[in-house]
This record gives sequence, C-alpha cells and structure tokens, in this order.
Amino acid sequence: MSGPWVIGLDDPAAADAAVVGGKGAGLHRLVALGGRVPAGFVVSTAAFAAALGDGVDVEAPLRGLDPDAPLDVLEQAAERARATLLETARSSPVLDAVREAYTARIGVDTRVAVRSSAVGEDAAGASFAGEHDTYLELRGPDAVADAVARCWASLYTARAISYRRRAAVGAGAGAMAVVVQEMVDARAAGVFMTLNPANGDRSTVVCEAVWGLGEPLVSGEVTPDRFVIDKISGEVVRREIAVKPTRLTRTDDGPGTVVADVAPDDRERPCLDDAELAALLAVARRVERDAGVPQDGEFAVADPGGPDAVHLLQTRPETVWSARAPRSAAPAPGVGSALSAVLATLTRSSREDADHGG
Amino acid sequence: MAADRFPSPFDVPTPDGAEGWESMYDWYHLFGPERRELDEQRFWFADRLHHPDVLHPYDEIQCECWWQALGAFNTRVFAMPPAFGVDQRIVNGRLYVTPVPAPPEDIAARAEEFGKRAGHYYERWDAIYDEWRGKVMAKLEEIRAIRFDPLPDLEPEETVYAHTGHSAGFRMIRDFDRLVLTMYETYQYHFELLNIGYAAYLTFFGMCRQAFPDISDQSISRMVGGLRVELYRPDDELKRLAKEAQRLGLADRIAGDEDAGTLFAALREDPAGAEWIADWERTADPWFLINTDPGHPGGYHTYPTWADDPNIPLASVREYLRRLADGSSIDRPTEEVLAERDRITAGYRELLDEADRATFDDTVALARQVFVYIEEHVLYIEHWMWATFWAKSHELSRALATMGEFDEPEDMFFLRRYEVAEAIYDCVAGWSVGSRPRGAEYWRPIIARRRAIYTALRAWEPPPALGPPPTTIDEPFTVMLWGITTSTVSEWLRTDTEDGVLRGTAGSPGVVEGPVRVVTHPSQLTEVQPGDVLVCPATSPAWAPVFARVAATVSDVGGIMSHTAIVCREYGMPAVVGTGNAVATLRTGQRVRVDGSSGVVTVLEPA
Repeated sequence: MSGPWVIGLDDPAAADAAVVGGKGAGLHRLVALGGRVPAGFVVSTAAFAAALGDGVDVEAPLRGLDPDAPLDVLEQAAERARATLLETARSSPVLDAVREAYTARIGVDTRVAVRSSAVGEDAAGASFAGEHDTYLELRGPDAVADAVARCWASLYTARAISYRRRAAVGAGAGAMAVVVQEMVDARAAGVFMTLNPANGDRSTVVCEAVWGLGEPLVSGEVTPDRFVIDKISGEVVRREIAVKPTRLTRTDDGPGTVVADVAPDDRERPCLDDAELAALLAVARRVERDAGVPQDGEFAVADPGGPDAVHLLQTRPETVWSARAPRSAAPAPGVGSALSAVLATLTRSSREDADHGG
Repeated sequence: MAADRFPSPFDVPTPDGAEGWESMYDWYHLFGPERRELDEQRFWFADRLHHPDVLHPYDEIQCECWWQALGAFNTRVFAMPPAFGVDQRIVNGRLYVTPVPAPPEDIAARAEEFGKRAGHYYERWDAIYDEWRGKVMAKLEEIRAIRFDPLPDLEPEETVYAHTGHSAGFRMIRDFDRLVLTMYETYQYHFELLNIGYAAYLTFFGMCRQAFPDISDQSISRMVGGLRVELYRPDDELKRLAKEAQRLGLADRIAGDEDAGTLFAALREDPAGAEWIADWERTADPWFLINTDPGHPGGYHTYPTWADDPNIPLASVREYLRRLADGSSIDRPTEEVLAERDRITAGYRELLDEADRATFDDTVALARQVFVYIEEHVLYIEHWMWATFWAKSHELSRALATMGEFDEPEDMFFLRRYEVAEAIYDCVAGWSVGSRPRGAEYWRPIIARRRAIYTALRAWEPPPALGPPPTTIDEPFTVMLWGITTSTVSEWLRTDTEDGVLRGTAGSPGVVEGPVRVVTHPSQLTEVQPGDVLVCPATSPAWAPVFARVAATVSDVGGIMSHTAIVCREYGMPAVVGTGNAVATLRTGQRVRVDGSSGVVTVLEPA
C-alpha cells in the first residue's frame, strides 16, 4: 500500500476510511461539517504497511490456530505476533515521520491522545467498541511514536482477535491507522447518542457525562450524570445527577492521567450546564442529519467550560436501534385516518386484554 | 406500609355536629342500602377538581348537570367504546365519583357505532362548532333575560293592557324552572362536543407518546394549541386597558394600592379618568364575566366574578402597567407561538417512519380543530353561563328575602333546588291571595341546622378515595382530567409518607425554590409577591394575573390537562399538580423546592 504516511484531519484525503480508518474518517467528517474537533493528524494505513515492511509475517503465530483453542493458547500466540510487530515497527523510518509530524503539526510540548483507528471499525453493524488501544495525555515525540506502535500492536490482542472472529472479519486484520490529536483539558466529558438507547426514542439526544476526562465513563467505572434532551424543543426533559466523588484528570507536569477528588460542592452538581447541553445538542443533530442515521459519540468540554468549549472526540453510527424501523406512532397496525386512530386508541385496553387472555 | 383498600363508603363516620347532613342533598345522590352491593365494589375518588369544598345544597345542581349530560353523551349518544358515564355520590357534603366502564363484550359493537357517530362530527367539526356557538349564545340570551324582582303590590298596567294573561307570581315560578332548565340544556351542549373532542386529543397525545416515549406534555400541547382562541380574550382586554391607562396618562394613579372602589371614584372626577372607567365598564360585559373558583370555574355560587370584584382584574392591570413601565412587552406572541408550533410539528413528523406520517398529519389536524373547542367552551359555559346562572340565583334569593320568605338572601343556598321551588310556591301563594306564607318561620330552624352542619362538614378532611382500588387506572379521561393514575392511588394508600415531601403529577417542567404562598380564595391573590410559590386547591383562568408573578405553582387537584398545568407550561414555569394535600400541609412563608419535572415538592425549611 502506498500513499502519504501522515494526513491532517482537515485534509480531504482523510475522508477515505481505507486510508485513515473508521475513527479518522469520522473525525474528518466532523471537521468538514464545521464541528469543533481537537487539531491532529492520522498515521495512515500506508504508514502501518510501510512500518511492517516486506517479508515480515506478523500473523504467522496465529495461522492454523484452532478456532476453539483455549484462551491462554490464543494469548500466547497473540503475544508473539505483537512482539514481532513492535520489533519491526520500532526500527522503521515511519516512526521518525510520526515524531516529526507531532513536532511540526502539534507542538513539541503539547499533550496529545493517540487512538487506534482500525479499518472496518466504527462502521454501522459492528462497533468494535474499546477493542483497540487509546493513550491519553502523552507528551513528547518519543512517547507519541511509542504509543502509535502500541496501537498497531493492539490489533493482535487476544481480545481483538476473538472479537474479529465473532464479527466474522477474520482472525487477521487488514490495516490499522492511528489518530494523534491534541488533548482537550477536559473540565467535563462524556458520550451522547442521538436516540434514547433505553427505548429507541429518536426524538431525544441522551448524554452521559462526568467531571474531567471521559474514559472512566466509557469503560463503565463510574456512574455519570445523565441528561435526556428533546431534539425538537431543546428542552432537557430529564436530568439524573450522580454523586461524582472523583475525576480523571491530567497530571500537573508529566504525561499521563491521575484520579483526583472532585471539590465537595461539585460532587452532586450537574457537570454540564444548559448552554453546554444546547451546544452538544446542536452539533449532535448536525452530525446525525449529515449521516442520515442515528449516531453515538464522545465529547469533551475544555476548561473552563461554556458552549464554545464543547469538542467532539468521535462519532459513529449507532448500531442497535438503527437496525430497526423508528418506533411507530400508529395506535394499531393498519391505522390510517384520524378516526381510525381514535377508534384504535379507545379500544386499546380491551384489545390488549383479549391478547393477554390468549 | 400500605393499606390495600380505602374505607368503604358505608363505613365513613359522620363528623360530630353534622348529624343529618343527608337531608341537605337529593336522595338519589347518596349511598343507600339499595345499591350497596354494587357501590361497595366500586372505586370512588373525591372529585376535588370540580368540587374541592363542601357543597351547598343549592349548588348540588352543578353536579347534576354534568352527571347526567356527560353520562348520556358517552353512554347513549356517541357510544364511547370503553367508557360509560361517571357516577356520583355525595358523602359528608363532598362529591365522590367513579367512572363506569363499558362491558368489555360491548366494546367492539360500540366502537362501530362510535365510528359512525363521532365520525360524523369529526368530518364537520368546524361547522358543527359554529352551530353550537349559536345554540349556546341563544341560551345565554335566554338566561340573561330572566329577572327576579320582589313581587309588586299591584301588577304593572301592561299585565292588563298587553293582555299578558298571567301574574308576576306565576312568572317567578316559571322563571325559576326556566333558569334551571336553561342551565341543564346548556350542559347537554357542553358534552355534545367535549368528550369526542378529548378522544381525538388523547389519541394524538397517545401517538406522540408511543413514537417518542420521552416527549414532554408541553411539546405535545404546543403542537396542538397556541391558536387564537377566545379564552385568552379577557386577559387580552386587561392588557388593552393597561395600555389605555398609559395612553391617557393614568398609569401612576392606577398603579397605587387603593381598592378598586376608591380608585374608580377618584378617576371619575376628571375626563381622562372617566374615559378609562367608561371603557372598563363597557369591557366588563361580557369579558369580566369570569368566575374565580379555585378549581373548576363556576362550580360554586360563593365565588365572585371579575365583574363582582374589580380588585381581581385591577391587580392584573397593575401588573401589566408595571411590566410596561419596565419596557417589557405584554402582548401574547401569537405569531411566534404559531411559527414555533409548526416548526416543532414538522420536527417530530420528520423523525417518524414514512408510513406513519399521513396518520400523524390527519390526527394533528383533528386534534387542533377539537382543541379550540376544548379551550373555548370553558369561557362560554363555565364562565358566562354559570356566572349568569349564579347571578340570577342571587337575584332570586334577594327577592325572596325581601319578601320575607328568608331572613337573608344567603339562606336560599342552604335549600335544595326542589325546596327552593317549594319556597317560591309558598311565597307566591301567600302573595297571590294577600295572605301569609309559612315562609321564614318554616325554613328558619332547617336553615340554622344546615348552617351548623355545613360548618362541621368543612372541618372534615375527606379521604381521597373510597372502596377497593382497581389494579390499574388507564381510563383515559380519569388520567387526563383528574390526574389520577395507578401511582397516585398507591401514593394515597401509603401510610409511611416521607416527612416534608409531597408528590403529585409533573405538570410543567423545571426546578425552582421559593417561599410558599397558600391561596384558597381569589381575594388572597393580591397578597402574592413576585417569586412566591403559589400553593392552591387549583387555579382557573380568572387567576391569570398571578402567573406573571409567581415562580412555580403547586395544586391539590388536576392532571396534565388541568388549567394550572397548561398555563404554567405556557409561562415556562414549574408546576406540580394533583398533590392531594398541599394546601393542608404547606404554610405560607415556608421555603420549598418545586420539581415540575418529577412532580415532587420538598420542604426546605419550616415557616
């Protein structure tokens, strides 16, 4: 595979998911839509291919594995594959190009996130949620380059391999791109969905958020605040405010993250205000309209907050409810006119009784 | 801890001092041994929405009007598929009701009839409503034309020269019957359109809820309401009078706190003031014919109209003047409301499956048509007709007291309407023969006893319901109008209620904290301070001015379609409705938090 190794998120070439992976292409689309996305670039699938070079058979240990092999056997094979991959990649000139791009495009001291962007992930139908690696709050060219290599290697975790087998994409993987993006100094962060996953209501945007970085929420370690926003009226129809004693935040001076206490007054306070929710609603609607199908995504609100501080970190098609038709408004099948709707409504409980009575 | 049933209506004790209360009400309105087997199996709830207080014997007529008319139109005229009428009983002076379901095996056949009959109305709704307005306005003219004066010593000459052929005494007997019958007839018309209207509105509501489970009631109502309906006219007239006051340079004089009588007398002294007073008086008929009952307007004879107590509309005019002085607009933003209505309707429609959109369009169109009636009929019937009925009843009571049939006019309202007919006959017979009616001496002990009973009954706290609760309450009108749901009833049955927490129906979203202001009579509305949390039995359109001042509203009765909920949604302020006992529990001055999204009121500090 040929082509540039490093592609800016705003570069038209970043529209091609085969080149920049699912996450990269999604971010490019957000940039193109005018969404507020942290600046960054993608290390392309061509870069991945170049780093592996010719004649290195990373997948050799996996070949011939019994699909029902015990997990530890699978894990040992995966580790061998990762070791081969890392060794090869670290000696390749591709990582030098990554170091250079980080320094030139982002800044030698700027904190970044490095996220896997596999080809085929984040497509409607298979979410690959959390199957590949993400590294937060990195600083310095070497740390970034190392994280990129680890992202490549995360194609060959036992978890990712068995996921690909279940999703029938094959044990091996085509290609992996990696996104390197400025880190938002998150006052609050979270996820949203342009429908209510509890009931499939497409008139709502449901948002969950926590103080600080969103990772503990995404990995399910903490209970977030939950907001249900009406897409049409903009009204926040429900707020469930959780007690949030801790937050994940950047360390003061180094790379990496640390768990910190939330100030007592903030623990039971909503971590997003109405203006921030309105900004999130507006961008979520724009993304959904553009995609034509319900979306879910991640966002962060940069310190010190406010509607202009809402950044999108990624969006992708929602995979569960989108596969079904929207909820029906008709009170009974075959209802057409208003009168037939009235009749169906007025006779509903007797119909249901009859149904239950069998 | 929860009990599994409410007390049996046959086990409700008579409050001390109220022995013999049954004589105040018609026998058919009482629980009796003949219907015991049936009535003990039914679930009865206190109809505090329409009748939050003890009924005067005369006012029982109000209940009868809707008891019969609602029942007949649901059961016999339109064959409403799931619902017959709403049965009524009086216990210790309070009205209890129970919706009567149609037998399940009849529902399919009833649905077929309903489709034809209601379908006829839906197809011609606007034309039928025009016709309806004509019928009701004719009844209003009829009832306004009735006059009750003390009978003359000698008939006027025209009785002779115009060959009238009957006497003033006969006419008093006849006109009381007419007064009652005209009101009854109007109530037929009231239910001619109301429940089929609600059925269409409920259908739209249900469709939105099904497709969008998270949609707020406010969003659904916004798709349907916001039309230019005449119900808003009285309030618009007050706004107009405020602007007129400004134009005439009277704003500062009116803005003070003198009572209406003193202020109006002073204003009459100069040309500008006199012009404004003349405008006020022209406007008052009919636009100030607005009942001020805390609850269903016109339910009692005891509450004044705006016209009776000009201090109530004057408080609104003062509020509007204050807002005009602040430079805020007081006009109803009708165009914006309509544009917003169309915008959100299109927004939700777009989210529906293609296949559903035609049904959605047809149903929202019908819901909008019927909603005009649902809003406006309140002005014509609950306000104009009932206000006139009570005014004529007061006129009659004054005439009878003047003639010595009663010691004072108010006595008449302690008699049942059949007894009033008897009193009239007694009075007329005495007048006719130039003799002496039994009159006041006969009624005096009866009325004295009933006044004592009435006082004893008012001190009684009625249980919210009687009898065994149904497993689920899904009868649409009960849920929609009374705000009574399965969860309300289980809340009523709870014996371990949380201290300092009141639960009701989430009437209008939002969270607000503020000091409580308990208002049980419209005369207290002038005490309300900006930022207060209004706590009341219920509200009516007559209370409109107060909504511009308060931060939130909590009511004892009402559901999502109650006046309180509708108006608060319109003003974008939180409301918790149907709490059952906010008035009895909360004290003026206490700080509370009102969460109109979850329907919870929390006491933050004692008064």
